[in-house]
Parts: sequence; structure tokens; C-alpha cells
Amino acid sequence: MSNKGAGSKENGIEVEGLVREFKNGPRAVDGIDLVVEPGEIYGFLGPNGAGKSTTVHMLTTLLPPTAGSARVAGLDVATQGPQVREVIGAALQEAALDPHLTAREHMKLQTSLHGMDRAERHQRGEELIERVGLTEAAERRVGDFSGGMKRRLDLALALVHRPRVLFLDEPTTGLDPQSRASLWSEVTRLSSEDGVTVFLTTQYLEEADQLANRVGIIDDGRIAAEGTPAELKAAIGRPSVEVTPSDGARIADAQGILADFGAPVPASGETIGIRLNAGIDGLVGIVRAFDTADIELASLVLNEPTLDDVFLAKTGHHLEGASESESAEMPLPETQNSRA
Amino acid sequence: MIRPYFSSAWAVAWRYLHNLYTKPAVFIPSLLFPLFFLAAFAGGLSVVGKAPGFGYYDFTAFQFCFVLIQASTLAGVFAGFSIAADFEQGMGRRMMLATIHRSSIVVGFAIGAASRLLLTWVVVTGVALLGGMSVAGSGINLAGMFSLALLGNIAALLFSAGIALRFRSLQAGPLMQMPVFIILFLAPVYVPQNLLTGWIEPAASVNPVTALLNAARSLMAGEPTGLLAAYGVAAGMILVMAVWAIKGLRSAETAG
Ligand SMILES: Nc1ncnc2c1ncn2[C@@H]1O[C@H](COP(=O)(O)OP(=O)(O)OP(=O)(O)O)[C@@H](O)[C@H]1O
Ligand SMILES: [Mg+2]
Repeated sequence: MSNKGAGSKENGIEVEGLVREFKNGPRAVDGIDLVVEPGEIYGFLGPNGAGKSTTVHMLTTLLPPTAGSARVAGLDVATQGPQVREVIGAALQEAALDPHLTAREHMKLQTSLHGMDRAERHQRGEELIERVGLTEAAERRVGDFSGGMKRRLDLALALVHRPRVLFLDEPTTGLDPQSRASLWSEVTRLSSEDGVTVFLTTQYLEEADQLANRVGIIDDGRIAAEGTPAELKAAIGRPSVEVTPSDGARIADAQGILADFGAPVPASGETIGIRLNAGIDGLVGIVRAFDTADIELASLVLNEPTLDDVFLAKTGHHLEGASESESAEMPLPETQNSRA
Repeated sequence: MIRPYFSSAWAVAWRYLHNLYTKPAVFIPSLLFPLFFLAAFAGGLSVVGKAPGFGYYDFTAFQFCFVLIQASTLAGVFAGFSIAADFEQGMGRRMMLATIHRSSIVVGFAIGAASRLLLTWVVVTGVALLGGMSVAGSGINLAGMFSLALLGNIAALLFSAGIALRFRSLQAGPLMQMPVFIILFLAPVYVPQNLLTGWIEPAASVNPVTALLNAARSLMAGEPTGLLAAYGVAAGMILVMAVWAIKGLRSAETAG
């Protein structure tokens, strides 16, 4: 096992004009450019059918691109497939596990497939089984595993040969909050301690927001926006503030005061909302103004823009299923698009 | 380079054999199948062996050679089924991702199929011997006969692998099995080639299995003839089918 790889010491990913067109199918990936820095966790955020898995398949040499180019760890995915496979690990969306094999047997299979030494195979297998908390279940058939256990095993399998670049396709879909948290901390550890570059796809805003150093928003095969979560949010706008006066009679006065600090945004009932002109700095002024005017407040809420706001601003629709709280007002972009 | 390659191939073979062993419901019938043929041919049709001009020393041995070739080629087809199932159910992707050189997947299935074949040989030969088959050929002759069966196995596996990798679905099973079945039965199954009449005669004479079968029977009888033709045909089939399988692999690669 060489960890030096051929050609480059870089662990990053460089993608230029990547396209994948399926026969009699859609242009699933429609000209993607992106750069993932070595050691970074890159979150690829998008709704169902956006082209996330298709991109992952191309970057992991499972699918040849129709056009464009991609280099992983400095190696061309189209022409240097074998070398690319030596340095990457991947846990795909549908964890391909054999229900008849135990976790330990999967380790044996995976380490042998990678051509690892016999001595190293056993040690590495046990180490990883322990790291993902499957020691107790190591001798059980995977057919009896829960969804979370399968995901953890799949991740462990992806790591056997100490890959420098790790691809995770929706690693936490269907996991309970606890399993999700433990997977997040493992991914973070891999990136920060081992310097592994992580390319992770997700439909969860929260996951992209908290786990990824940088996020690419993909919709309909194209990258709609890219940046750190903070940059993305900052770019689309300033935070908003929602204020509810204790005394319903003073709503008009409150509106007057708030008008100086930003433009109104829709809010419900007795609550008044504005988007802050001066960003978060405006908040102090608002509090002082209410104090001076002697208006008592039942609540004052500061809403940072979310990645869903970014998504909405960049694509014209919400990320499906992402805004659990606002699902009622969710449009149906898919049906609209397909009818066009 | 070489060692990791065979480590990958061995991993594929190991899993194939392991799953056979843990799934007797799949394995046992495939073992009974050749025994059934042996019993039906050698037992039920033994009167054929007494027909004038048959000219082979032992009817059971005559039929055994066919059953050996048949069981060996079908073992290759069964391994093709497993390849199709793996690509249908996702394990194919795991193997495509984890193996550096992907032809090791096909080689692994070939190793698995050949290892499985060993057990089939032991059982079929054992049953034939218990059933009173007499063996005229020497040890070397017999080794030659089994090696021809192995080559038939490899050719059938490569053929099936080519189909499995193109369709990546178990629904392609009949496409692997039917041609092999047909070509097997277009060989001189029940009587020597010189006794064949009608349309089957020209079919049998151009059938590559005929060359294998005739040579196997001659080796069993200890009077080897047509070996050059048999090995030549076997090598040719393996070569053609290897190209077919590798092209199938390329098709699986481009389909994702
Ligand atoms: N093998 C294929 N043949 C034809 N079309 C395909 C194929 N694979 C994917 N597609 C189509 O390409 C588009 C992108 O699919 P992809 O699986 O990349 O989306 P995704 O972002 O991973 O979605 P999800 O969140 O549902 O996994 C979809 O319209 C899908 O139907
Ligand atoms: Mg997907």
C-alpha cells in the first residue's frame, strides 16, 4: 500500500466542466466546476435528483464523464482509474453489503480486495470495527443489522486502506440523531486529525452547515452557489429580527421604530419582522429605541439566514424536505420543472 | 502489482465459495443435477451401448465423459449467475471500487468456479465408480480428460461473465444458460459421432464441444486421439470468450 500515490502529493479534488448525460435520460450533471482543498470537508448539498450521486460516481471512477475533467488527488479519473482507486475510499448511497457475510467477513473481503498484507489486514479490520462500535456485532450477519449499523460498517470498509480522499454519499440519511452525531464526529476527526479530504453529499441543511467547511449547492445538475456556510449566508443577506410588543395597541409605534432599521419582512399575528439594514449591529439600536419609546417587548428574535434561504435565493425554490418547520409553504419545484 | 491483483481475485473467489457453502439450498441442487444426468443416461439408456457399431469399451464411462463436460461448463454458467446477481444488488460496485485492476473480479469468479468444480468432480466421479464404471485410461490420460473439462469450465464462465456484465441482472440468466445447453446437446451425447444421422450430424461436426467430448472419451479409454484439435479448440474458445468478457467489463464500467 503506497500512501504517496502517483503524480501528486495533493489530496484535493479539481473538477472542470464535468458533464454526465445518460442515454435516453437527463443531463444529470450539467457542467460542474469545483475545487476541494486538501483536508477539507466539502458538503455537496442538493435535493433528490440534483446529480449528487452521479457526480460522486464520476469522481470515484464508477462512471466515465460525458465531458469535462476531474482530478482526485492530482489523478485524472478518466485516464488514471486504477491509481485513483488506490487513494480514495467511498461509502455510496446504497451501502452495498452482503447480507450473508458478518461484519468481520466484510472486513476480510474489503482488505483483500484492496490487496493489503495478510498481517495488516486483520489488525486494520479489528481496529476499524472497534472504531465504529461494531465489536459486539462483529460476528453477526449483516442481514440482521440495523440501518445505522450498516452505515457504520460501510464507513469502516471505506477506510480500510487509509484513503486520502473519502467520498460519502448521503451518509446520514435515515439515521437517528445519535448515530448522525457520532458519524459527524468521526468525519470531523478524519479530516482534522488524519488530514483526509472529505467529499460528502447531503440533503440536510444542518449537516452541510455544521459539518462542512465549504458547501456547494447543486440543483438540476448545476452548482448554484459555493462557499463556506457563513459566506453563503452573508452573501444572500442580513439577519432578520422579529419583535412582538407586549401591548398589542403599540404595534403601530413598534412598526414605526423598526422602519428605521430595515425593510419589513412577512411575520404573523402580533409580530413584526424586518431585515436588518446594518446587519447584526442594528440590534443594539433597536433595543435602545424600544427602551426610549417605553415599549415593552414580549419577545425579540434574531433570525440568521439559513442555508435554505441561500438555496431559495439561488435556485428560486426551497430544498425539498429540508425546512421541516416550513413544509406547509413548500413549493413543488420538481413538477413545475418537468412540465416546462 | 501481481500480488495485490491476486489478493483481489482471491477475495472475490473466497466470497463466492463462502456463500455457496453457507447456502446449501443453492449448492446441493447444482450438485445433484449432473448425478441425475449420469443416472438417466448411463442407467436408462445402457441398451444404446449395445447397438452395433457403438464401439466404446464401457457405456457408463462413455456417458460419464459427457456428464463431466456438462457439469463443468454449467459450473461456469452458475458462476456467471453470481456475477449478474452481484451487479444487480450492488456488490458489483464495491468490487469495482475496491479492486485496482478490475479484471481481477472475473479472474476471481473463475478461481471460485474452478474450486467449486473440484467438489463436483469428486462427487460425480465417485458415484460413477460406485455405479460400476470402468476406467481404462492411465493417470496421465485422466488428468488430460479433467483438464479438458476445466478448460470447458473456463470458457463457459467467460462467456457467462460477458453476458452478466453487459446486462447486470439475473434476468439475463437464460441468455447464459440456453446457448451452453444447446451447444452441449448438439454434441454426440448418446452415441459416438460416427453413428449420428440427420441434421445433428453436421451440427455436431462443427460444434467445438464435440472436439472436447471426443478427446475426453478417447482419454478415458486410454486411446487418446484428437488431442491437438481439442486443446486447440479449447484455447481458441477461451481466447474469444476472454475478449468477450473483458468487453463486458468495459460495458459495466461505462454504465456505472
Ligand atoms: N443510470 C441512470 N440512467 C438514467 N438516468 C439516471 C441514472 N442515474 C441517475 N439518473 C438520473 O440523473 C439525475 C440525477 O440523479 P442522481 O442520482 O445523481 O441524483 P441525487 O442528487 O443523487 O439524488 P438523490 O438525493 O435522490 O440520491 C436524476 O434525474 C436521475 O433520474
Ligand atoms: Mg443520490
